[in-house]
Amino acid sequence: MELHLATALALLAVGFFAGWLGALVGLGGGIIIIPTLVLGFGVDLRVAVATSLVAVVATSTAAGSVFVGKGLAHLRLGMTLEVFTTLGGITGGLLALRVPVEALSVVFAALVSGTAVLMLRGKDARPEQGAPRAAAEPETTEPAGEEERGRLAGSYFDAHQGALVPYRAVRVGLGGAVSFAAGVLSGLLGVGGGFIKVPAMTLGMRVPFKVAAATSNFMIGVTAAASLFIYLSEGLVHPALATPVALGVAGGALLGTATSRRVSATLLRRLLALVLLAVAGQLTLKAFGVRLGR
Amino acid sequence: MQGLLRGGLAVAVVLMVVGLVVQVASGEVAAPGVPLRALVGTGVSPGTRLMGLGVLALGLTPGLRVVLLLVLWARERDWRFVGVAALVVMTLAVSLALGGG
Repeated sequence: MELHLATALALLAVGFFAGWLGALVGLGGGIIIIPTLVLGFGVDLRVAVATSLVAVVATSTAAGSVFVGKGLAHLRLGMTLEVFTTLGGITGGLLALRVPVEALSVVFAALVSGTAVLMLRGKDARPEQGAPRAAAEPETTEPAGEEERGRLAGSYFDAHQGALVPYRAVRVGLGGAVSFAAGVLSGLLGVGGGFIKVPAMTLGMRVPFKVAAATSNFMIGVTAAASLFIYLSEGLVHPALATPVALGVAGGALLGTATSRRVSATLLRRLLALVLLAVAGQLTLKAFGVRLGR
Repeated sequence: MQGLLRGGLAVAVVLMVVGLVVQVASGEVAAPGVPLRALVGTGVSPGTRLMGLGVLALGLTPGLRVVLLLVLWARERDWRFVGVAALVVMTLAVSLALGGG
Protein backbone atom coordinates (compact mmCIF):
# COMPACT_ATOMS: atom_id res chain seq x y z
CA MET A 1 0.00 0.00 0.00
CA GLU A 2 1.02 3.65 -0.42
CA LEU A 3 1.29 6.10 2.42
CA HIS A 4 -0.19 9.51 1.70
CA LEU A 5 -0.92 12.07 4.42
CA ALA A 6 -4.59 11.05 4.38
CA THR A 7 -3.67 7.35 4.75
CA ALA A 8 -1.30 8.11 7.64
CA LEU A 9 -4.00 10.10 9.43
CA ALA A 10 -6.59 7.37 8.76
CA LEU A 11 -4.24 4.68 10.17
CA LEU A 12 -3.50 6.84 13.21
CA ALA A 13 -7.22 7.39 13.81
CA VAL A 14 -8.14 3.73 13.26
CA GLY A 15 -5.32 2.64 15.58
CA PHE A 16 -6.42 5.12 18.23
CA PHE A 17 -10.02 3.93 18.02
CA ALA A 18 -8.99 0.25 18.19
CA GLY A 19 -6.75 0.88 21.21
CA TRP A 20 -9.39 2.95 22.98
CA LEU A 21 -12.24 0.54 22.30
CA GLY A 22 -10.06 -2.44 23.20
CA ALA A 23 -9.14 -0.93 26.55
CA LEU A 24 -12.80 -0.08 27.29
CA VAL A 25 -14.05 -3.60 26.66
CA GLY A 26 -10.94 -5.32 28.02
CA LEU A 27 -9.39 -6.54 24.77
CA GLY A 28 -6.04 -5.86 23.24
CA GLY A 29 -6.13 -3.62 20.19
CA GLY A 30 -4.77 -6.45 18.01
CA ILE A 31 -8.02 -8.32 17.64
CA ILE A 32 -9.64 -5.15 16.27
CA ILE A 33 -6.77 -3.65 14.30
CA ILE A 34 -5.73 -6.81 12.41
CA PRO A 35 -9.10 -7.43 10.69
CA THR A 36 -9.44 -3.67 10.06
CA LEU A 37 -6.09 -3.60 8.25
CA VAL A 38 -6.87 -6.79 6.30
CA LEU A 39 -10.47 -6.07 5.34
CA GLY A 40 -10.43 -2.26 5.32
CA PHE A 41 -6.98 -1.43 3.98
CA GLY A 42 -6.23 -4.57 1.95
CA VAL A 43 -3.09 -5.34 3.99
CA ASP A 44 -1.64 -8.88 3.88
CA LEU A 45 -2.54 -10.80 7.05
CA ARG A 46 1.10 -11.44 8.04
CA VAL A 47 1.95 -7.76 7.59
CA ALA A 48 -1.11 -6.89 9.71
CA VAL A 49 0.08 -9.32 12.42
CA ALA A 50 3.58 -7.77 12.37
CA THR A 51 2.00 -4.31 12.62
CA SER A 52 -0.11 -5.46 15.54
CA LEU A 53 2.98 -6.83 17.31
CA VAL A 54 4.64 -3.40 17.06
CA ALA A 55 1.46 -1.92 18.56
CA VAL A 56 1.44 -4.55 21.34
CA VAL A 57 5.03 -3.71 22.31
CA ALA A 58 4.25 0.04 22.17
CA THR A 59 1.14 -0.30 24.34
CA SER A 60 2.78 -2.60 26.86
CA THR A 61 5.85 -0.37 27.19
CA ALA A 62 3.80 2.82 27.39
CA ALA A 63 1.49 1.33 30.03
CA GLY A 64 4.50 0.06 31.97
CA SER A 65 6.03 3.52 32.03
CA VAL A 66 2.82 5.46 32.72
CA PHE A 67 0.97 3.29 35.22
CA VAL A 68 3.86 3.12 37.62
CA GLY A 69 3.68 -0.49 38.79
CA LYS A 70 1.94 -0.63 42.12
CA GLY A 71 3.89 -3.73 42.93
CA LEU A 72 1.00 -5.94 41.92
CA ALA A 73 2.87 -7.82 39.20
CA HIS A 74 5.03 -10.67 40.51
CA LEU A 75 8.13 -9.94 38.45
CA ARG A 76 9.90 -13.20 39.35
CA LEU A 77 6.85 -15.22 38.34
CA GLY A 78 6.51 -13.14 35.16
CA MET A 79 10.19 -13.68 34.29
CA THR A 80 9.92 -17.43 34.93
CA LEU A 81 6.92 -17.74 32.60
CA GLU A 82 8.62 -15.44 30.08
CA VAL A 83 11.24 -18.13 29.47
CA PHE A 84 8.36 -20.13 27.98
CA THR A 85 6.40 -17.31 26.28
CA THR A 86 9.48 -15.99 24.45
CA LEU A 87 10.29 -19.50 23.17
CA GLY A 88 6.62 -19.79 22.16
CA GLY A 89 6.75 -16.34 20.53
CA ILE A 90 9.71 -17.36 18.36
CA THR A 91 8.01 -20.66 17.50
CA GLY A 92 4.77 -18.87 16.58
CA GLY A 93 6.64 -16.35 14.43
CA LEU A 94 8.54 -19.07 12.57
CA LEU A 95 5.30 -21.03 12.15
CA ALA A 96 3.47 -17.99 10.75
CA LEU A 97 6.09 -17.68 8.01
CA ARG A 98 5.49 -21.27 6.92
CA VAL A 99 1.72 -21.74 7.29
CA PRO A 100 -0.38 -20.77 4.21
CA VAL A 101 -2.00 -17.39 4.76
CA GLU A 102 -5.46 -18.92 4.18
CA ALA A 103 -4.94 -21.30 7.10
CA LEU A 104 -3.71 -18.42 9.22
CA SER A 105 -6.87 -16.47 8.32
CA VAL A 106 -9.10 -19.36 9.43
CA VAL A 107 -7.22 -19.71 12.74
CA PHE A 108 -7.47 -15.96 13.31
CA ALA A 109 -11.19 -16.03 12.44
CA ALA A 110 -11.65 -18.82 15.01
CA LEU A 111 -9.89 -16.70 17.65
CA VAL A 112 -12.07 -13.69 16.79
CA SER A 113 -15.24 -15.84 16.97
CA GLY A 114 -14.23 -17.35 20.29
CA THR A 115 -13.56 -13.90 21.69
CA ALA A 116 -16.93 -12.65 20.45
CA VAL A 117 -18.80 -15.60 22.00
CA LEU A 118 -17.06 -15.05 25.35
CA MET A 119 -18.00 -11.37 25.19
CA LEU A 120 -21.63 -12.17 24.38
CA ARG A 121 -21.78 -14.58 27.29
CA GLY A 122 -20.91 -11.65 29.50
CA LYS A 123 -17.49 -12.75 30.65
CA ASP A 124 -15.81 -9.78 32.16
CA ALA A 125 -13.02 -7.88 30.51
CA ARG A 126 -9.86 -9.83 29.99
CA PRO A 127 -6.62 -8.07 30.66
CA GLU A 128 -4.58 -7.57 27.51
CA GLN A 129 -1.76 -5.60 26.04
CA GLY A 130 -0.21 -3.90 28.97
CA ALA A 131 -3.13 -1.81 30.08
CA PRO A 132 -4.91 -3.71 32.83
CA ARG A 133 -7.80 -2.27 34.72
CA ALA A 134 -5.99 -3.27 37.87
CA ALA A 135 -3.10 -1.03 36.91
CA ALA A 136 -5.44 1.87 36.23
CA GLU A 137 -6.93 1.91 39.69
CA PRO A 138 -6.38 5.04 41.70
CA GLU A 139 -3.16 5.18 43.61
CA THR A 140 -3.42 4.30 47.26
CA THR A 141 -0.91 4.80 49.99
CA GLU A 142 -0.99 1.10 50.85
CA PRO A 143 1.69 -1.14 49.36
CA ALA A 144 0.02 -3.06 46.53
CA GLY A 145 2.06 -6.15 47.05
CA GLU A 146 5.39 -7.72 47.81
CA GLU A 147 7.29 -10.63 46.39
CA GLU A 148 9.65 -12.88 48.26
CA ARG A 149 13.28 -13.11 47.26
CA GLY A 150 14.24 -16.41 45.63
CA ARG A 151 10.67 -17.78 45.57
CA LEU A 152 7.47 -17.59 43.55
CA ALA A 153 5.55 -16.30 46.54
CA GLY A 154 4.42 -12.97 47.84
CA SER A 155 1.48 -11.01 49.15
CA TYR A 156 -0.92 -8.41 47.80
CA PHE A 157 -3.08 -5.77 49.40
CA ASP A 158 -6.73 -6.82 49.40
CA ALA A 159 -9.05 -3.82 49.67
CA HIS A 160 -11.95 -5.88 51.12
CA GLN A 161 -9.87 -7.43 53.86
CA GLY A 162 -7.80 -4.26 54.29
CA ALA A 163 -4.66 -6.31 54.69
CA LEU A 164 -1.83 -7.98 52.83
CA VAL A 165 -2.87 -11.49 51.75
CA PRO A 166 -0.09 -14.02 51.15
CA TYR A 167 -0.02 -16.39 48.16
CA ARG A 168 2.34 -18.87 46.57
CA ALA A 169 2.39 -19.99 42.94
CA VAL A 170 2.04 -23.76 42.47
CA ARG A 171 2.30 -26.05 39.41
CA VAL A 172 4.95 -23.97 37.64
CA GLY A 173 5.31 -26.68 34.96
CA LEU A 174 1.66 -26.30 33.99
CA GLY A 175 2.00 -22.50 33.96
CA GLY A 176 5.08 -22.84 31.75
CA ALA A 177 3.32 -25.12 29.27
CA VAL A 178 0.32 -22.81 28.98
CA SER A 179 2.62 -19.79 28.70
CA PHE A 180 4.43 -21.48 25.81
CA ALA A 181 1.07 -21.94 24.05
CA ALA A 182 0.18 -18.28 24.73
CA GLY A 183 3.52 -17.28 23.23
CA VAL A 184 2.89 -19.36 20.10
CA LEU A 185 -0.51 -17.71 19.68
CA SER A 186 1.00 -14.27 20.18
CA GLY A 187 3.70 -14.93 17.57
CA LEU A 188 1.27 -16.53 15.14
CA LEU A 189 -1.60 -14.06 15.38
CA GLY A 190 -0.15 -10.87 16.86
CA VAL A 191 -2.29 -10.84 20.00
CA GLY A 192 -1.23 -10.47 23.62
CA GLY A 193 -2.48 -13.84 24.85
CA GLY A 194 -3.42 -12.55 28.30
CA PHE A 195 -6.74 -14.39 28.09
CA ILE A 196 -4.86 -17.70 28.27
CA LYS A 197 -2.15 -16.76 30.77
CA VAL A 198 -4.45 -15.16 33.33
CA PRO A 199 -6.72 -18.23 33.82
CA ALA A 200 -3.62 -20.45 33.82
CA MET A 201 -2.18 -18.40 36.66
CA THR A 202 -5.41 -18.01 38.64
CA LEU A 203 -6.94 -21.48 38.18
CA GLY A 204 -3.79 -23.49 37.54
CA MET A 205 -1.17 -21.79 39.69
CA ARG A 206 -3.45 -20.32 42.41
CA VAL A 207 -2.22 -16.77 41.88
CA PRO A 208 -4.76 -14.04 42.84
CA PHE A 209 -6.53 -12.51 39.80
CA LYS A 210 -5.17 -8.98 40.22
CA VAL A 211 -1.62 -10.27 40.54
CA ALA A 212 -2.09 -12.57 37.53
CA ALA A 213 -3.50 -9.74 35.38
CA ALA A 214 -0.65 -7.37 36.25
CA THR A 215 1.95 -10.13 35.78
CA SER A 216 0.49 -11.10 32.40
CA ASN A 217 0.70 -7.49 31.26
CA PHE A 218 4.29 -7.23 32.37
CA MET A 219 5.06 -10.27 30.19
CA ILE A 220 3.23 -9.25 27.01
CA GLY A 221 5.76 -6.72 25.69
CA VAL A 222 8.70 -9.12 26.04
CA THR A 223 6.78 -11.95 24.32
CA ALA A 224 5.68 -9.71 21.44
CA ALA A 225 9.23 -8.38 21.02
CA ALA A 226 10.56 -11.95 20.65
CA SER A 227 8.21 -12.69 17.74
CA LEU A 228 8.52 -9.16 16.28
CA PHE A 229 12.22 -9.82 15.55
CA ILE A 230 11.24 -12.93 13.53
CA TYR A 231 8.81 -10.87 11.44
CA LEU A 232 11.54 -8.24 10.95
CA SER A 233 13.78 -10.87 9.36
CA GLU A 234 11.33 -11.41 6.53
CA GLY A 235 10.61 -7.77 5.85
CA LEU A 236 7.04 -8.17 7.07
CA VAL A 237 7.32 -5.08 9.26
CA HIS A 238 6.35 -2.07 7.14
CA PRO A 239 7.61 0.88 9.21
CA ALA A 240 5.42 3.41 7.41
CA LEU A 241 2.35 1.30 8.22
CA ALA A 242 3.39 0.22 11.71
CA THR A 243 4.32 3.73 12.92
CA PRO A 244 0.92 5.48 12.68
CA VAL A 245 -0.93 2.32 13.79
CA ALA A 246 1.31 1.68 16.82
CA LEU A 247 1.26 5.31 17.93
CA GLY A 248 -2.52 5.37 17.56
CA VAL A 249 -3.17 2.06 19.36
CA ALA A 250 -0.86 2.91 22.27
CA GLY A 251 -2.39 6.39 22.67
CA GLY A 252 -5.93 5.05 22.44
CA ALA A 253 -5.26 2.21 24.89
CA LEU A 254 -3.79 4.59 27.46
CA LEU A 255 -6.78 6.93 27.18
CA GLY A 256 -9.23 4.00 27.26
CA THR A 257 -7.59 2.52 30.35
CA ALA A 258 -7.59 5.86 32.13
CA THR A 259 -11.31 6.39 31.42
CA SER A 260 -12.57 2.80 31.48
CA ARG A 261 -13.95 3.07 35.00
CA ARG A 262 -16.29 5.87 33.92
CA VAL A 263 -17.83 4.01 30.98
CA SER A 264 -20.41 1.23 31.12
CA ALA A 265 -18.99 -1.29 28.73
CA THR A 266 -21.73 -3.92 28.65
CA LEU A 267 -23.63 -2.64 25.60
CA LEU A 268 -20.38 -1.71 23.89
CA ARG A 269 -19.05 -5.23 24.48
CA ARG A 270 -22.15 -6.83 22.97
CA LEU A 271 -22.11 -4.55 19.92
CA LEU A 272 -18.43 -5.21 19.38
CA ALA A 273 -19.01 -8.96 19.76
CA LEU A 274 -21.57 -8.88 16.93
CA VAL A 275 -19.20 -6.88 14.73
CA LEU A 276 -16.39 -9.35 15.50
CA LEU A 277 -18.62 -12.30 14.52
CA ALA A 278 -19.32 -10.63 11.17
CA VAL A 279 -15.61 -9.91 10.77
CA ALA A 280 -14.73 -13.55 11.53
CA GLY A 281 -17.24 -14.67 8.88
CA GLN A 282 -15.80 -12.33 6.27
CA LEU A 283 -12.20 -13.36 7.08
CA THR A 284 -13.17 -17.01 6.64
CA LEU A 285 -14.93 -16.32 3.34
CA LYS A 286 -11.91 -14.34 2.16
CA ALA A 287 -9.65 -17.27 3.07
CA PHE A 288 -11.73 -19.49 0.81
CA GLY A 289 -11.68 -16.95 -2.00
CA VAL A 290 -15.26 -15.69 -1.62
CA ARG A 291 -15.56 -11.90 -1.81
CA LEU A 292 -18.49 -9.94 -0.45
CA GLY A 293 -19.06 -6.27 -1.21
CA ARG A 294 -15.95 -4.47 -2.39
CA MET B 1 13.77 1.39 36.13
CA GLN B 2 10.76 3.45 35.07
CA GLY B 3 13.14 6.20 33.88
CA LEU B 4 15.07 3.95 31.53
CA LEU B 5 11.86 2.42 30.21
CA ARG B 6 10.54 5.89 29.47
CA GLY B 7 13.88 6.81 27.88
CA GLY B 8 13.75 3.81 25.53
CA LEU B 9 10.14 4.55 24.67
CA ALA B 10 10.91 8.26 24.08
CA VAL B 11 13.78 7.43 21.68
CA ALA B 12 11.51 5.04 19.76
CA VAL B 13 8.58 7.46 19.59
CA VAL B 14 10.77 10.41 18.50
CA LEU B 15 12.38 8.32 15.72
CA MET B 16 8.97 7.07 14.56
CA VAL B 17 7.28 10.49 14.60
CA VAL B 18 10.20 12.29 12.92
CA GLY B 19 10.43 9.50 10.35
CA LEU B 20 6.70 9.73 9.63
CA VAL B 21 6.88 13.53 9.23
CA VAL B 22 9.95 13.25 6.95
CA GLN B 23 8.21 10.56 4.89
CA VAL B 24 4.99 12.51 4.41
CA ALA B 25 6.78 15.87 3.89
CA SER B 26 9.10 14.41 1.24
CA GLY B 27 6.14 13.17 -0.75
CA GLU B 28 7.50 9.61 -0.59
CA VAL B 29 4.47 7.35 -0.77
CA ALA B 30 6.13 3.92 -0.93
CA ALA B 31 5.60 2.03 2.36
CA PRO B 32 7.73 -1.07 1.84
CA GLY B 33 8.49 -3.90 4.22
CA VAL B 34 12.01 -3.44 5.54
CA PRO B 35 14.09 -6.37 6.79
CA LEU B 36 16.31 -5.60 9.78
CA ARG B 37 19.53 -5.79 7.74
CA ALA B 38 18.18 -3.30 5.17
CA LEU B 39 17.89 -0.59 7.83
CA VAL B 40 21.64 -0.04 7.65
CA GLY B 41 21.92 -0.61 3.90
CA THR B 42 21.13 1.61 0.95
CA GLY B 43 17.88 1.79 -0.95
CA VAL B 44 15.69 2.80 1.97
CA SER B 45 14.21 6.31 2.08
CA PRO B 46 15.29 8.49 5.05
CA GLY B 47 11.77 8.56 6.51
CA THR B 48 11.34 4.79 6.31
CA ARG B 49 14.80 4.25 7.79
CA LEU B 50 14.02 6.49 10.78
CA MET B 51 10.68 4.77 11.35
CA GLY B 52 12.34 1.36 11.01
CA LEU B 53 14.98 2.32 13.56
CA GLY B 54 12.16 3.53 15.82
CA VAL B 55 10.43 0.15 15.54
CA LEU B 56 13.75 -1.56 16.35
CA ALA B 57 14.32 0.71 19.38
CA LEU B 58 10.78 -0.06 20.52
CA GLY B 59 11.38 -3.81 20.13
CA LEU B 60 14.55 -3.59 22.21
CA THR B 61 12.90 -1.73 25.11
CA PRO B 62 11.23 -4.79 26.72
CA GLY B 63 14.61 -6.54 26.59
CA LEU B 64 16.12 -3.57 28.41
CA ARG B 65 13.57 -4.08 31.16
CA VAL B 66 14.61 -7.74 31.49
CA VAL B 67 18.28 -6.73 31.73
CA LEU B 68 17.45 -4.17 34.42
CA LEU B 69 15.64 -6.80 36.49
CA LEU B 70 18.63 -9.10 36.07
CA VAL B 71 20.89 -6.38 37.50
CA LEU B 72 18.42 -5.66 40.30
CA TRP B 73 18.26 -9.33 41.35
CA ALA B 74 22.04 -9.66 41.08
CA ARG B 75 22.33 -6.81 43.59
CA GLU B 76 19.91 -8.71 45.86
CA ARG B 77 22.04 -11.84 45.32
CA ASP B 78 18.94 -13.68 44.15
CA TRP B 79 21.02 -15.88 41.82
CA ARG B 80 18.20 -18.24 40.93
CA PHE B 81 16.25 -15.46 39.25
CA VAL B 82 19.38 -13.88 37.80
CA GLY B 83 19.67 -17.20 35.94
CA VAL B 84 16.01 -17.09 34.85
CA ALA B 85 16.39 -13.50 33.55
CA ALA B 86 19.62 -14.51 31.76
CA LEU B 87 17.69 -17.28 29.99
CA VAL B 88 15.11 -14.74 28.77
CA VAL B 89 17.86 -12.35 27.60
CA MET B 90 19.48 -15.22 25.69
CA THR B 91 16.17 -16.18 24.06
CA LEU B 92 15.60 -12.57 22.98
CA ALA B 93 19.17 -12.46 21.61
CA VAL B 94 18.50 -15.63 19.58
CA SER B 95 15.31 -14.05 18.24
CA LEU B 96 17.18 -10.86 17.31
CA ALA B 97 19.91 -12.94 15.63
CA LEU B 98 17.26 -14.84 13.64
CA GLY B 99 15.68 -11.48 12.75
CA GLY B 100 18.95 -10.12 11.46
CA GLY B 101 19.65 -13.24 9.38
